[in-house]
Amino acid sequence: MKIKLLYFLFFCAAATVTAQQIQISGTVISSEDDFPIAGANILVQGKNAGTTTDFDGNYQLTVEKGDSLIFSYIGFASSTILVESQTTINVTLSPDNQLLDEIVVIGYGSQKKKEITGAVSVIDSKAIEKLNPVRVEQALQGQVSGVNVTTSSGSPGAASNIRIRGVSTNGDNNPLILVDGNRITDLSVINPNDIASVNVLKDATAGIYGVQAANGVILITTKSGRKNTELKFNIDSYIGFQEASNAIDVLKPRDYAILVNEMSINGGGDPKYIVYPEDGTDWQEQVFTNAPIANVNFDASGGTEKAAYSFGASYLDQDGIVGGDKSNYNRATARLNFQYDILKNLKLSTTAIYTHSNKNNLSEGAAGSVLFNAINMNPVMPVYDANEDDGFQKAYNLGGEIINPVAQLANTYDTAQVNKISATLGIDYSFLNDKFKLSSKFQMNHSVVDSHVFKPEVYYGPSKSFNITTNEVYENKDYYDDYTWDNFITYSNTFNNDHSLTVLLGMSAFKTYGTFTGMSGTNLLIDGQQVNTIEYASVANAETQINRFTDEQLARGSNTFDTRLLSYFTRIQYNYKGKYLLSGVLRRDGSTRFGPENRFGYFPSGSLGWNISEEDFLVDNSFVNLLKLRVSYGIIGSDKIGDYRYLSTLSGEATYVRNDETDASELLQGLAEGALSNPEIQWEKQKTFNIGVDTRLFGDRISMTIDAFDKRTEDLLITSQVSGILGSSAPGSAPPTINAGTVQNRGFEFQIAYNSKFSEDFRINASYNFTTLHNEVLFVSGENGFEAGGGFGVGIGVSDAARMEAGYPIGYFYGYKTDGVFTSQEEIDKSPISSTDTAPGDLKLVDTNGDKKITADDRTYIGDPIADVTMGFNLGFNYKNIDFSASAFASLGAEMVRDYERQILEANKGTYNLDRWTPTKTNSSVPRLSTGGTPQSSYFSDLYVEDASFLRIQNVQAGYTFQENLVSKIGLDRLRLYVSVNNLYTFTNYQGYDAGASSGAPIGAGIDKGFYPVARTYMLGLNLKF
Amino acid sequence: MKNYKIYITAFIIAMVTLTACSDDFIDVPSRNPNSDDFFKTEQDYQDVLIGVYDLLQASFWNVMVGEIASDNTLAGGDPDNIDGPAMQDIDNMVHNDVNEQLRDIWRWMYAGLNRANYMLEFRDNIDFDTKNDMIGQALFLRAYFTFELAKWFGPLPLLVENGRIKNKRMQFGEQFTISRTATIADTYTLIEADLIEAIGLLNTTQDLEYKVTKGAAQSLLGKVYLYHATFDAAKYTDAATVLDQVISDGNYTLASNFGDIFEHPGENAAGSIFEVQYTDVEGAGFDCLQCSEGNVAVGFSGVREYVGPTFDSGYGFNTPTAEAASIFTTGDLRKDATIFDAEAIATSYQPSRGETKLYNRKYLPRKGDLGLGDNNLTNPNNYRAIRYADVLLMAAEANVQKSAPDVTKAKGYLDLVRDRAFGNTTNRIDATLENILQERRLELMGEGHRFFDLVRTGNADGTIDGFTPNKNELFPIPLIELELAGAVERWGQNPGY
Repeated sequence: MKIKLLYFLFFCAAATVTAQQIQISGTVISSEDDFPIAGANILVQGKNAGTTTDFDGNYQLTVEKGDSLIFSYIGFASSTILVESQTTINVTLSPDNQLLDEIVVIGYGSQKKKEITGAVSVIDSKAIEKLNPVRVEQALQGQVSGVNVTTSSGSPGAASNIRIRGVSTNGDNNPLILVDGNRITDLSVINPNDIASVNVLKDATAGIYGVQAANGVILITTKSGRKNTELKFNIDSYIGFQEASNAIDVLKPRDYAILVNEMSINGGGDPKYIVYPEDGTDWQEQVFTNAPIANVNFDASGGTEKAAYSFGASYLDQDGIVGGDKSNYNRATARLNFQYDILKNLKLSTTAIYTHSNKNNLSEGAAGSVLFNAINMNPVMPVYDANEDDGFQKAYNLGGEIINPVAQLANTYDTAQVNKISATLGIDYSFLNDKFKLSSKFQMNHSVVDSHVFKPEVYYGPSKSFNITTNEVYENKDYYDDYTWDNFITYSNTFNNDHSLTVLLGMSAFKTYGTFTGMSGTNLLIDGQQVNTIEYASVANAETQINRFTDEQLARGSNTFDTRLLSYFTRIQYNYKGKYLLSGVLRRDGSTRFGPENRFGYFPSGSLGWNISEEDFLVDNSFVNLLKLRVSYGIIGSDKIGDYRYLSTLSGEATYVRNDETDASELLQGLAEGALSNPEIQWEKQKTFNIGVDTRLFGDRISMTIDAFDKRTEDLLITSQVSGILGSSAPGSAPPTINAGTVQNRGFEFQIAYNSKFSEDFRINASYNFTTLHNEVLFVSGENGFEAGGGFGVGIGVSDAARMEAGYPIGYFYGYKTDGVFTSQEEIDKSPISSTDTAPGDLKLVDTNGDKKITADDRTYIGDPIADVTMGFNLGFNYKNIDFSASAFASLGAEMVRDYERQILEANKGTYNLDRWTPTKTNSSVPRLSTGGTPQSSYFSDLYVEDASFLRIQNVQAGYTFQENLVSKIGLDRLRLYVSVNNLYTFTNYQGYDAGASSGAPIGAGIDKGFYPVARTYMLGLNLKF
Repeated sequence: MKNYKIYITAFIIAMVTLTACSDDFIDVPSRNPNSDDFFKTEQDYQDVLIGVYDLLQASFWNVMVGEIASDNTLAGGDPDNIDGPAMQDIDNMVHNDVNEQLRDIWRWMYAGLNRANYMLEFRDNIDFDTKNDMIGQALFLRAYFTFELAKWFGPLPLLVENGRIKNKRMQFGEQFTISRTATIADTYTLIEADLIEAIGLLNTTQDLEYKVTKGAAQSLLGKVYLYHATFDAAKYTDAATVLDQVISDGNYTLASNFGDIFEHPGENAAGSIFEVQYTDVEGAGFDCLQCSEGNVAVGFSGVREYVGPTFDSGYGFNTPTAEAASIFTTGDLRKDATIFDAEAIATSYQPSRGETKLYNRKYLPRKGDLGLGDNNLTNPNNYRAIRYADVLLMAAEANVQKSAPDVTKAKGYLDLVRDRAFGNTTNRIDATLENILQERRLELMGEGHRFFDLVRTGNADGTIDGFTPNKNELFPIPLIELELAGAVERWGQNPGY
């Protein structure tokens, strides 16, 4: 309609052409994707003249010299150009999100960025493209303040832990992730190329999302088409290879033999090596490999007058740097995004994402895992032994857990296949002059996880835990479903031009449910003959076949789950002249996870904003383009606990033996209590205060955001160790979930970005952000005053190496302080010691309570895994056809526990032991080696705690875009080639593989059992548009 | 007009949806039964009873670590390292209140106690024919778990009501208020009351081998009386009475060949009064040792890196001392069934720490089991918890010790054990207390009784290296368990720790 009117105006204008008129023409393109913009408006300022661009973005217009042309298009900042003598005016319009009118999705609606009163960070598709991440989470690290991403494994396809403003609960610290409004728990199913923008809601204004928003919200919007645009295609592809970015320094064969002998003799044993071998095996080299990665992404988008559509498909294939295809991950995705205006005031939008992935799994991050074995395996041993049936060297004299990692890889067959479909359907209906909008959105996910594990008959050597004498196959199929149905009505109106009011009223119902099924089999037979190869590895071929669930469990439905949430919410937003902003939210949440008395909770939040730059004294200031002050406070409820923890259910393990069973299906199965119940449990409450300032200076060249926050989690929901007399260590049981304590996260966030265009040929942008975090447990309600967790040391066997206790950071490391090593017997004689066997060179434990004895009471704070400061740096420039970008991330002040060393004589050792204390080198702080019960081998002390500060160059990318007139000859709009390196280098003093790794557990994070390290990846890629 | 209709329709749909989802949307009943509203059929009782039995399998440390604590065996393990430091400490009697194995024993036996209490909490819900027997089994099992705890830790935190252990699960919160029984003797009195009731309820014979019998309850009662007698000598008479009854009822005989007892066919066979049942048909892992359906202690006791006939390898713990092996006199058939000399038949092996090269043959991993992952944790060897020979020797001891001793009767019992041990009647000895106790060591070596026998008879001091009187009679309650219950002061630590 508008277009027709404009044409009409154009013809009117054309009819009154005068003599000074000049004919101009040109193309309007989008800076976002370099595509032409169809339907862009061109108006002659102050006159009733203008036109619109055609499908190829071209326009022609007759104007007078001295006219100003205003180029505009919905969602883009308009541009004004003075007509002098030029006859061609090509204009590049930038999307609004570069500017203040950017529309930001805020939950059940959107808002102009300028009017936002919460702490929100945005990452757009450009930033994602620059980082070229394999996974979405990688694009978050270092890009915005307050967000920290750690990996528990660098294995392809493995999940990351996202923490927004610290660790606040003892349970699940993951933020709520919504993809087009649809809850997604596993981001691996999302292809980063499909993403248009990522918004991170960090403060109490996330409260509109209620339950599960307590850890923050990440809103991901996938790419959609634009109306009135021609069908356009995009192909992005890269190939590359990955390599291990570092190895742990362990002893070479000769040094190893010398140290083993010394250790044995110190412990009263005999030397193990008469001859010091020069040759051996570098076991890490044996398991690490250069692994290929390839990705191709295709998308198409376009739109008609009423519809906009976008379609994407991608395929990723990635081998792992450990074991190559034994940790392969491949993923195919398809996405459809479609919007259609059924009527002018009735709009439909729908999205669908299909993902198919296969992931091969290795044993990781535990005693006996592949890397653990590669670190600890005897370096003198060869990989192969021709005298053995399977040709592999057996790991003699290395205890039950350490086995030949190359043999282990060869015998690992563990695959999980995921098929998932996520879909959304939404209808918006506007009525009464568009003042009211009624919205109904339905989102669903359906996924099927097929896992297949084959454990072949294998012999790794005598006494090994991993020996299998009868082969086993596991085939499980798990179904996960969920849906969310949101219905809400929005009223917006502006009174007297100055008072804007938006009122939202709505409800949301969420249900997640699923079913687990599976079979296992032992002893594979083909025609009665035992077989032991993967090709025959199916339960169907097994002599004995066992259902994963008993008939009784299936009849009860114990293999299913069903969890629901029901919420009602309202929000009022008011602003006066865009200067004074006010927003309030009230939510009533109900969760199946609490008992009938505590099922519902009411959670309010509110925020205020003041656009100081709109005030008279600043409005015309050319230096300050924006200055806004924001304050918010709110309470968000959290229900992130297991199901039915308020009820004592018979879900434990009750299995006994008649003594005539031939397979596991014949065992006696009964019923027993599962996790201990706590009928009193109630909502955890997250109380967040945030104050922030947004500013843009010098013609928007510099933008800056500063936030200070204080987030208190009260009635923290905890499941940690309880007194054993309650029976929680029974098979299938667990401690109760309780509301215990308060945790505070305080911090300061600062973000500055600089963006400048020096000329058409040279543009530069740079940004820097940092976040400080002070985590402190304020109060633990249990009468014992602490919560314990975190296992350390296969040999030492400490099960409570980390604690949550008032006055300390959550999950701090709890052990013995040390004060160097004893240098003489005389010194030992006058010091408190832990054992009478103590000799010079042994670690000196500190008697912290001063009782002249070393006892368990001397354990204290020896570090914590929470970084004090994290920061991100991003730099980019374009010069003519060349573009360059780089990003780095730093984390300072976190500690990690070195727990990948098996404390036994013939296990390999870190090279730091070359500096050990010896009678001739008495100035060393590294304790002597001994097989005896020394303080260093028997106690969890700060000897094992290391500073894990690091600076990582995350990504460096350089690209070249070919001249448009060159590529257009072969029918392309754009052709760009680039080279990129991810995870280029990490500066750190930490000795383990990855200073940035973490298990993500609130109590017990940072204990490093040999995390699968993140790979360094070299990529060569191209971007094509046509 | 068209718009208007859509407007109306949409508005109605919206109103319906906004209100249709009433709060009962989130009333989803649990698929698994609610434990507070359960016992409705005989099968329900049977199902819960299986769960009580389950925890018996978690008593493997009690047996193995108990043996290591005694003078019979060394901790062993890896020769080059401090392997299983908690067990090494106990072996050397230098253990303190931070000890992995002690914590496991504490937690797992309490888990069993709580499961028994769950069944007994609802013992009066319904009636059916087999109920008495089932309640009898539950009472026996509660007594068994409580007795294990009392042996290790002495006076126990227990809920007590009317002179009995309260028929009620302990609920979260109660750990902060519960107090310890005043004395060890008080604890034994509570255990005896359970067993006396169980004896009145239990069947003499059962349809399935795993089930507790009346004889088992009588035998355990006799044993508890013997332990109790350390504090109250009158209990010897009670012990003699109930143990004599087991013998005179004539339901049990000794297996003719001692060597057969600990092989697979010997399980639940002649001479067996009560066994903890284990199997190899299901895998297990270190993350939940108490969940294993196999006997974890067997893999731990296996010869390290053993390659050779008859046995599978293991971790080399619990290795008999040369002194222990030397006490068997010539002709004692028990020696070869009790002590395995790896040097004799192994192709290769790694001697354990302490290098005795001797192993606890009664509980070694045998070749031929299924070996599902983790092979070392899933050995099927049943634990012969109460053997008839044990009953005979306890009865002999009680008859010698009671206020009106009956040495003749005692000698008769002792002779039965000696005759079987030597395969003839020419090696009989006098029924002195010393002889009877020595015979217990010979007969029951490797079965986890020795340490507690030495303690209760007052013979530990001077016999066990490093044993400190008035301290090592009991083990310390793990510090973390005191802390978690807020009971560092309320329960207090055992003396000397």
